[in-house]
Amino acid sequence: MVRRLSELPEVEAKHLSTTRIVCPTYDDTPLLPGKPLAARRVAIISTAGLHKRGDRAFDRDDGSYRVIPAETPASDLVMSHVSVNFDRTGFQQDHNVVFPIDRLRELVADGTVGSMASVHYSFMGAFPVDAAQPHAKHLAGLLKADKVDAALLVPV
Amino acid sequence: MGALGHFLEREGIPTAGISLVREHTEIVRPPRALWVTFELGRPLGKPDDAGFQTRVLRAQLDMLERTDGPLLVDYPEDVEGEVDLTGWACPISLAPRPSDTLGAEIDRLMAWYDRAVAARGRTTVGTSGLDMRAAGRLVNDALDGELPPAQSLKLAVDDLRAFYLEAASAFPDPGTTRTRVAWFWDETLLAKALLALQPKLAASADKQHKLLAALTLIPATERHRLERDRLGVST
Repeated sequence: MVRRLSELPEVEAKHLSTTRIVCPTYDDTPLLPGKPLAARRVAIISTAGLHKRGDRAFDRDDGSYRVIPAETPASDLVMSHVSVNFDRTGFQQDHNVVFPIDRLRELVADGTVGSMASVHYSFMGAFPVDAAQPHAKHLAGLLKADKVDAALLVPV
Repeated sequence: MGALGHFLEREGIPTAGISLVREHTEIVRPPRALWVTFELGRPLGKPDDAGFQTRVLRAQLDMLERTDGPLLVDYPEDVEGEVDLTGWACPISLAPRPSDTLGAEIDRLMAWYDRAVAARGRTTVGTSGLDMRAAGRLVNDALDGELPPAQSLKLAVDDLRAFYLEAASAFPDPGTTRTRVAWFWDETLLAKALLALQPKLAASADKQHKLLAALTLIPATERHRLERDRLGVST
């Protein structure tokens, strides 16, 4: 169990400290209203550096995204995140612990969620913010074209 | 991650995220974030526990209805730490022998890797495009000769690490993920090769080699081994 940074072992706390990792700040935070969950179309946006085997691997400072069609078999999913400082054995055991596509599919099947996007996406979370912004803007257009009205952001 | 929430919401897509490091999220203030206390690398908490994962996902989805943010909600469930099997020893004899090689070690793990793939129906190996023997040769060549491009080496090493840990998960007594990671760093020739490679990368004139040595070859939790190796302390 991980609590606050102050409760982590020193080496891990130092690695994640906000003096080492520069977090972007914003003057305000937009929050959009939307439909009830049972009417929403939901996409998963991971930052785990996921992609299909054979797709271009993520490289350092890469702010772009990879496309993961909803029908992608779990056996085609690989991870090329540049960081070595998080557990990968969970993902090796069960992709849903990082990319909960089967759980989302179940919630669609039982009517909790309206529908699932036809395509999901992954960034590689160690991106410089400026490198990702134009890609995110482009991605928003793609999501709208797929009639997505909710994005689940899942880090690693 | 939080920055993506700002970008997408501003472009008209409502978002709900998971926060693994509360202190970061408190600064970024994304629209909606569910703070979880799980280990980094496991945002949904527990592998192979659909019920647990669904509860986390539901909590994340339920935030979408709210517009009174920025929201930072504490998820109430924790994941208990794995039982530490003190005294666990790798049941497969992988201990390096004087004449052993990295290639031979990789070969010994093949059968266990195949078992793991058969059991799980999938593998996460495959970002480098190399088979594991070729990946091992790349590491050996990097140690003994000229360094390959940093990204090629990084992807080969990531694949090898995944190959070793997936193989170990199929050992007759696989221990826990924690003991298997400890086994990797304590006992394998690959880990020794990576620790030996780090100073060579650090001394390279190539900036990408230096960055690999400084950040993305050896995890922060294992870097103490570099100092120990430098001092010649036997393990």
